[in-house]
Amino acid sequence: MRRASQASRDRLKAAMRRLAGGDRAALEEVYRATSAKLFGICLRILKDEKEAEDALQDVYLTLWRRAGRYDPDRASPISWLATFARNRAVDRLRTGKVRRGAVPESEAAPLPDSDPLAEDLLIDAERDARVHGCLESLDDTPREAIRSAFFEGLTYAELAKRDEVPLGTMKSWIRRGLARLKACMEAGV
Amino acid sequence: MSDDKRPDAVLAAEYALGLLEGEDLLAARAREGHDPAFAAEVAQWQDRLAPLADEINPRMPRAEVWQRIEAALAEDGGDGEVVALRRKLHRWQWIGGASAAAAVALAVFAFMPGAPPTAPDGNIANLPATTQSPLAANMPIEGTPLRLDLTYLPDTHDLLVTAVGLSADGVHDHEIWLVPDQGELISLGVVTPGVVRSHEVPEPAAQAIASGSRLLLTREPLGGKPADADAGPVVAEARFNAI
Repeated sequence: MRRASQASRDRLKAAMRRLAGGDRAALEEVYRATSAKLFGICLRILKDEKEAEDALQDVYLTLWRRAGRYDPDRASPISWLATFARNRAVDRLRTGKVRRGAVPESEAAPLPDSDPLAEDLLIDAERDARVHGCLESLDDTPREAIRSAFFEGLTYAELAKRDEVPLGTMKSWIRRGLARLKACMEAGV
Repeated sequence: MSDDKRPDAVLAAEYALGLLEGEDLLAARAREGHDPAFAAEVAQWQDRLAPLADEINPRMPRAEVWQRIEAALAEDGGDGEVVALRRKLHRWQWIGGASAAAAVALAVFAFMPGAPPTAPDGNIANLPATTQSPLAANMPIEGTPLRLDLTYLPDTHDLLVTAVGLSADGVHDHEIWLVPDQGELISLGVVTPGVVRSHEVPEPAAQAIASGSRLLLTREPLGGKPADADAGPVVAEARFNAI
């Protein structure tokens, strides 16, 4: 994976600061730099172009209206934005406005890499990316469940139904997995 | 592992991942709101998990999406919006102290329907100098012991909405409406559960608000009534009274 350039990272951070100050041009700059990344995330969770477009619009409008919520001293901007977009997309799923499974997962999941823009905005390059290695170190079952929760926005109940196991079983798989994930990331292995 | 035995760190991870539903979700959301240690744990998990998003291929959205964002910004009033919001926030912090005094005054007058318009000395010491009486309304929410307190300050066109004790269910928002004597309902904004918040009242509504004005609370999807949908069910109503 290519590493983010310090320059693009600093530019984004500066734009986020200007955005918090009410600079409208800064919003466009942040949009140009990050919308492909965030649209990819919304699309992956929502599996529907129209829904993902609505979610993306909602993400940037909310960002503008509540620009003060981002703390440049705490989080990297792209990591924060990615989390923000994922949470908004998951919220949309939960409101029931989205018809789950309208697109079969097998068709929707591996999206074509049609426009590999914003590659210099990889989150990895800025943040400690131990999660990849630590997730790989888990057993198949908890790893796949945690991945599905992250990438598809599935709840415990949905995961249990999909894998045809009792809810309690799914919960203990995932909880054990999360506890190990935490231990692994804190151990710095 | 039973539901109540899991460590906070695991609960924070479950919440950050979006695994929770129903009461568990509400409880975690409420805790994030009032327990800074838990909120920090959630934020830490979000940071830890965020690099997973690198596996997702970026996709260019259609140009139309940015055009829609720009159009929505223009409706907001554009550049001034954030500046106005900050100004309002400062004012709200200042009014925050005063609203406690207003609440005391409200409690006093609630039992004195015929009270004269002059308030007792002391209680109004912190109130902004007003030339018009503030209006108050108290909205009990049907089927619950909860209520929403609304105070309108005519001089600044601010509506203080006290929703302390209410928590978000993650699925709905509640929107406040003014019922004018004539014409359509006017939105006074979406309730933010758990806090006291100042809403700026739009000009047409400010013109129409008076003692006796009727208010409704409706249940809506997150974010409030969609532009292309009818308002949701009415869950509470009240009238403004001068205080």
